Amino acid sequence: MQTKTIWRILSILVVLTLAWGLRANAVQKLSIDYDEDDYMRAGQEYAHLIRTSDWSGFLEANYRPEHPPLAKIVMGISFLSAPEEKLVADRPTTSEPNKYLPRPLVKAGRMTNAILGWLTVALLAFVNPLAGLALANHTFTIKYVSQIMLEALPSLTSFLMVLTYLQFKKNRKQSWLITSAVFLGLTAASKYLYCVIGIAILVDWLMDAKDREEVKPFFKQALLWGFLGVIIFFAANPFLWADPIQRLRESVFYHAGYSTGAEEVQRSNYPFWQQLNWLVFSPSIWHPNVFKFSPDFIISIFAVVGLGRLWKKERLYVLWLGITLLFLLVWPTKWPQYILTLTVPLSLAAAEGLTQTWQEIVAAFKSKRPIYNKKETRQAIPWLVPGLIAFAVLTLLPFLFQIAVSLTDFNSASIRDGFQGGIWREVSGGLTGEIEPANPEFPFRSKEVQYTGFSGYLPIFQYVVTGEGVFIFNIFWMVVSTGLQVILGFGLAILLNQRGVKLGKFWQALFILPWAIPEFIGGLMWLNIFVPEIGWLSLAAKKYGESFPLQFLIGWERTPSLWFLIFLIPAVWYGFPLIMLAVNAGLKTIPKEVFEAASIDGADSWQTLRHMTIPLLMPVLLPAIIIRGIYAFNQFYLFQALPFRDGTLANISYNVFNPSTGGGQFAISAIINILTVIILIGLVSLFNRRMQTREEFINA
Amino acid sequence: MRNISVIRQILTQFILLLVGLFILIPVWSTVRLAFDGSLRGRPTEFTWLPKEFSVEAFVKVLDRPYQSVEFNVLLQNSLIVSIGAALFAILLGISLAYGFARFRFPVRNTGLFVLLLAALLPPIAFATPLYIILSLLKLRTTLLGLVIVYAAFAMPFAVWNMRAAFQAIPKELEEAAYLDGANHFQTFLNISLPISIPSIAVTAMIAFLMGYTEFAIGWLFVDKADNVTLSMAVYALVNGQFSGAQPWSYLGSLAIIMSIPVMVIFILFQQTLMERLLFQEAS
Repeated sequence: MQTKTIWRILSILVVLTLAWGLRANAVQKLSIDYDEDDYMRAGQEYAHLIRTSDWSGFLEANYRPEHPPLAKIVMGISFLSAPEEKLVADRPTTSEPNKYLPRPLVKAGRMTNAILGWLTVALLAFVNPLAGLALANHTFTIKYVSQIMLEALPSLTSFLMVLTYLQFKKNRKQSWLITSAVFLGLTAASKYLYCVIGIAILVDWLMDAKDREEVKPFFKQALLWGFLGVIIFFAANPFLWADPIQRLRESVFYHAGYSTGAEEVQRSNYPFWQQLNWLVFSPSIWHPNVFKFSPDFIISIFAVVGLGRLWKKERLYVLWLGITLLFLLVWPTKWPQYILTLTVPLSLAAAEGLTQTWQEIVAAFKSKRPIYNKKETRQAIPWLVPGLIAFAVLTLLPFLFQIAVSLTDFNSASIRDGFQGGIWREVSGGLTGEIEPANPEFPFRSKEVQYTGFSGYLPIFQYVVTGEGVFIFNIFWMVVSTGLQVILGFGLAILLNQRGVKLGKFWQALFILPWAIPEFIGGLMWLNIFVPEIGWLSLAAKKYGESFPLQFLIGWERTPSLWFLIFLIPAVWYGFPLIMLAVNAGLKTIPKEVFEAASIDGADSWQTLRHMTIPLLMPVLLPAIIIRGIYAFNQFYLFQALPFRDGTLANISYNVFNPSTGGGQFAISAIINILTVIILIGLVSLFNRRMQTREEFINA
Repeated sequence: MRNISVIRQILTQFILLLVGLFILIPVWSTVRLAFDGSLRGRPTEFTWLPKEFSVEAFVKVLDRPYQSVEFNVLLQNSLIVSIGAALFAILLGISLAYGFARFRFPVRNTGLFVLLLAALLPPIAFATPLYIILSLLKLRTTLLGLVIVYAAFAMPFAVWNMRAAFQAIPKELEEAAYLDGANHFQTFLNISLPISIPSIAVTAMIAFLMGYTEFAIGWLFVDKADNVTLSMAVYALVNGQFSGAQPWSYLGSLAIIMSIPVMVIFILFQQTLMERLLFQEAS
């Protein structure tokens, strides 16, 4: 016990030191970013008011009034430590970062924010040192708490709001609830966005109240909590005192207008899932001198693994993560600083994920080797050998070859040398250390194969995984398209299996049709409809003009979110029949008596569906879902038939490889393929564990 | 349980009708193009029906769909490549599948994981190395080369699927055969194989479809017009269509012609094979 405590304290100290070092470094080295001038000007106004003791000025000062003033007032206080400077220029939100901000003010403001950011890490490290480590290293968090932005204060107060609420949940003391309400108010007075975390608290609270069967007192307490929060919000927001309703309205409505109309939001043209991209993005691409290494990607991956464990430990953190993320996906503005609303629970989930992975690795080493039968092994050999030879030649050999190519700069110009043994020469030489890795420029054009070592992996990883968003697109595509297929297929099977549905056989035969059409021909059929300018849709829009209800789809190829929607249509069209058939077949295996019993017990059809049908169908449905999911991950022909964007990893790999379109960059393509394999191994292991079907799936 | 009420029946039929339209819209958009004799290039106005009904596009496409290559040659190439690949994958994979299904040996689970992973990989991951290996063997542009490539795509899946079929056979059945003095091979040949024929047929059909519909890898490997397959020709028409060189009705009609055999197979086997296929895929 004693040593454990000492270790804990030591690890917290290490985390705190590291967190401070990284933040202080970022304060020094980060270049001036967008918006820093705005918040500096706002802070300067407050600093001036304090210096001149013009307290009534607080009633009218609030530069950039779309954000409440508290975080800006804090900036103003921090500027008191530096000599007063002329107000920085008032410039539109579209302008480039202002490089000529007064350095002393930059330093004072950033330092204050960094201290607030560091305090958040400190609190988190006390909850879970490993999570503290994750947050300490999270690059986006470091970046936005070490600049003159508004994120540092609300991240801290919102976390405090959650922690105090959790204390209340544990020991039911009203004082904790009041403290939590105070932090709610302070959060709201710093930045509205962080109030979404309050919704997570309410959801958790309601669930808790339901478990205790104390729903009535919940409403009373929650109302009180919210009311107190509003009072504190007004108290901390002097700008509102003069004309509360009107000014609050203007401030809040600004965001609605900004998100749909502002030029910079339109110009950035981010897809609606962009926030997921930011979660795996590596800001070290923007600031190579400040951040040598971005663990954001790794933190997000482990967070996915650890969600289940975190839910068991403290449900609220998962709700926080989920609700905020959902809100960010829906909210039209997609600035990266918004993810600071959820990096705290993200770090906690990542810590759980890391612990769990570690425990599983230890358990795997400790577990006994599976029993096998010597006699059967001998008998198996003649069966296995011929197939294994074929498998090795057709599958393993190409794969090994692929690994070898990925270590070189093999391309269509060096094809002759490669065929004459160049790849083997370079890779064997390189691995034994006889050949120094070359560092050729991309695109590779050398006439002779050169050994490059693993140097190609990092840039490609940055391109496909942490940079351009291909990886997230791939995963998101898989989840959404499979999800829609399941909903449609499942719903149709249930509809068709009602008693006495007319024309059932006819409908079923019709619904199988897409499956009998080769995928890329199906893609072409949809292409006839959607292709810009000359497709059926565009022609219809031209003919019927403004009254055409699908007018909003015109120009889909220019908007990533619509593009996603358009591609989902053929994918769902093509994919749902398999799910429908699987559910259909599964329904036949459920004895009728089960439903009759449910009906006698008085269950309505929704209850029967929820508690009987779905659980009984799961064994048939899950493998079908996995098959469709993996298929969607590797979707290739559809994107190749409708060539408007990159598509999946498979498409990029193909197009980079193809000498007639991508310049025959064989080595790059090989690296992408190997990354795909690694990602797939991860996904399959995750599926296996999540669904607890390892045995069933492998031994089916 | 009683039949559903009239209102629910109407509601159900309405939803089913909507989904039916969703299914048919793209099909109709293609049929409409294929039978339109008025098209000289791209369609220029919105119509529900062909403007000028004609089967000219079908006649033209059945004669010489791609450059100067005859339709028969394309079809023949397609059949050689896809049937060849299916046979290759089945024959090479069958013993491996049986071995994995019947015997316990070291690293069996690891082997299964590798197999599963190979089945999950996108085909393109095999294409790149095979391109180089087959170039070395001077087989790249030949039909045999394509057979090998498509067999490589189909094989992990085929092994996985057939293994599931063999595993489903009750062990008692085979043990009874051993007791009568049959060896492993005889048991396999006389007991397990006949029982699994339907599943193997389904596996073969899927492997066939992979080769029949593949075009991207085909275009990467083949550069002689004589070795082009039907689906490659369809893809080539896509490009011709956008450059405005050919009426859109050609592509529509060729797509329809190509889909017909597959649909016939599906309709023929729907009752017996579909559910087996499903349980195979689903296990």
